[in-house]
Amino acid sequence: MAKKINKVRVPMRERSIDERIKKFVEVPLGYSEDEAIMEASRCLQCPKPTCIEGCPVNINIPGFIQKIVEHKFDEAFFILKKDDAMPAATGRVCPQETQCEEKCVLGKVGDAINIGKLEAFVADWARKNKIKDTPEIIDKPQKVAIIGSGPAAISCAVDLRKMGYKVTMFEALHKAGGVLQYGIPEFRLPRDIVDYELKYLEDLGVDFQLNTIIGLHRSFQEIRSQYDAVFLGTGAGAPRFMGIPGEELTGVYSANEFLIRVNLMKSYLFPEYDTPIKVGKHVAVIGSGNVAMDAARSALRLGAKVSIVYRRTKSESPARIEELNHALEEGIEFMELVNPVRIHEKLNHVHGLEVVKMKLGEPDKSGRPRPIPIEGSEFTIEDVDMVIEALGTLPNRLFLDRAPELNRNKWGILQVDENMKTNLDGVYAGGDAISGGATVIRALGEGRIAAKAINEYLKNK
Amino acid sequence: MAHEIIHNEPLNYQDYLIKIRAPEVVKRIKPGQFVVMLLHEKGERIPMSVRRTEGDAVVMYIRKVGKTTSALIDKPVGDTILHVIGPQGTPLEIKKYGTVVVATDSVCGHAWSYSAAKALKDAGNFVIDIQSFADKEETYPEWALNKDACNEHHLTTKDGSAGEKGHYINLIKNWLENGKKIDLVLAGGELIKLKRLERITKKFNVPTWVEAHQLMIDATGMCGVCRVFVDGEMKLTCIDGPFFDAHKLDFDSMINRYSTYANEEKLSLQLYKKQRGE
Repeated sequence: MAKKINKVRVPMRERSIDERIKKFVEVPLGYSEDEAIMEASRCLQCPKPTCIEGCPVNINIPGFIQKIVEHKFDEAFFILKKDDAMPAATGRVCPQETQCEEKCVLGKVGDAINIGKLEAFVADWARKNKIKDTPEIIDKPQKVAIIGSGPAAISCAVDLRKMGYKVTMFEALHKAGGVLQYGIPEFRLPRDIVDYELKYLEDLGVDFQLNTIIGLHRSFQEIRSQYDAVFLGTGAGAPRFMGIPGEELTGVYSANEFLIRVNLMKSYLFPEYDTPIKVGKHVAVIGSGNVAMDAARSALRLGAKVSIVYRRTKSESPARIEELNHALEEGIEFMELVNPVRIHEKLNHVHGLEVVKMKLGEPDKSGRPRPIPIEGSEFTIEDVDMVIEALGTLPNRLFLDRAPELNRNKWGILQVDENMKTNLDGVYAGGDAISGGATVIRALGEGRIAAKAINEYLKNK
Repeated sequence: MAHEIIHNEPLNYQDYLIKIRAPEVVKRIKPGQFVVMLLHEKGERIPMSVRRTEGDAVVMYIRKVGKTTSALIDKPVGDTILHVIGPQGTPLEIKKYGTVVVATDSVCGHAWSYSAAKALKDAGNFVIDIQSFADKEETYPEWALNKDACNEHHLTTKDGSAGEKGHYINLIKNWLENGKKIDLVLAGGELIKLKRLERITKKFNVPTWVEAHQLMIDATGMCGVCRVFVDGEMKLTCIDGPFFDAHKLDFDSMINRYSTYANEEKLSLQLYKKQRGE
């Protein structure tokens, strides 16, 4: 008998706008058990599930959803953990609407299954109920060095450790987690979740070497000679600036600086925490990706009026739809089709942002319409007193400059083959280091591919 | 992981000599590089100059200026701090230049200048070291100066109450005007003085490197807060610096950016003092 199709999602309860714009607490409240079961019951359990194809790590999505329906949350968790090193994080930060949920058959007739929120539900349930994935590990003698401790590094480390390799992770900062730690704000990804996911690595026996910059503190060549294989999850941590006049002024931030202050150093709790943060009366955030949304919503929570300044339109915004919607709901102004040309100053501080109006032309290489400046249309947003540039990031040259033997393109993006292998024997790479900036889940997928390839390499070594 | 303080002694009414165990840093640090310290979980990451190493400890000169430096100085010997990270930054190029003047007028300058002067001397340079203080009261005891690190040492005070009267700028200017041959000036300290120094050495075409003083957070090239402009090009003090060619450096924007958080730093210090009942 055909299943009756329920076209409407079980709504996600969220914190009220009034409450959330003053705090860095998570916005969605998460499904209750009943809500999760109700939402999971909508799944058609397609015989050929397309959602799995949409997932960069190919989670058995119908499988874990079915376990929710059956009220077997622990089994659902083990299914998730099989392919995803940190489901509590990816359930929250993946752009599901362009991945698994986009492929959901239900989306053609109504709302796609809320896969992300179900994933987060299962992971949160397991955490609260102390259900852990404790694989049996048979130790192997070979050692692998993982440079970096963000998503790609984490997923590679987990897989390699499960295979029995001795894994050492080198992190430049004083806290592990990479972008999960310094980049994504608490209102999207609470830090107790990040800490919990990292604790899992410790439990598996991964050795963390914090405060250690490969290239500067220990040479890449030394690491290569001391370990049987190396994975580079060095990320794309270096900020990009537009290169317009006025960037030397006080009040101009890279999104990286602003978010590192807020997230890694918890400066939103200044003076309880020692790192200060300043926020203007009117903050202009340049760009419209997830990082721009994170910076904009953080500035809003610190008390500013915030405008997103974007050279295309909302429809071309690369941000996750949930983040864009949250930003708009919270009262962030979205200025479309404008591009900054100059930052004005008063007493060496930002005092107005001059922009030029844009129009959309033919699609460019990214497939999105190319923004074209309209000559003579410049105007100044007068009351802007702080500018945050969220234009994407580049790989950090601190490492690259000291590893000239690695092939990279002109932007410093490492070149790898389909197995994530670099041009060097035994050296693999993944995550933002090979893409210049993508998603957490894509990084997790690349970490897994690399782990598999490293295993093959070491077996034959 | 924690780093033990093994020595803590005043050099004058505001500056302290502190030795902290940091074996990983000691193994690798070179003249011109610095460390980043984080006192505790809620602390800030602050860059600090290193004077020299001793055993497995870094030897530092630290002034009570803000909350973090005060809190560090207030720690007794035997106490620990959470992280000492480094070495960070690009080392100075140590080679034979000829006659090198190493000049400074600040606590961090008095720190790094020691190992820089010593390394330059060991590399066969004739090193003239100038240490400038406000007055006798601020001047360090003899043993804490750079005398053993150079070929010729000058102590100056603004009011002449100790050593020669004046500032390192006056000495360098006099020497150059009197035809003294100087092959390199290496200076650090108060930024406004460095800017004045640059104008003088430029007139006489003397290569000059200065320590850029800038705010930092991660000090790994990630945040960009320490950006300075060298020949119009954006450079990061934490990884490209801290030393830059003074004749190419934009001093005005550097000086402006350095004081971004002055009010917050003041507030932090006030709260810290209040908490300690000071």
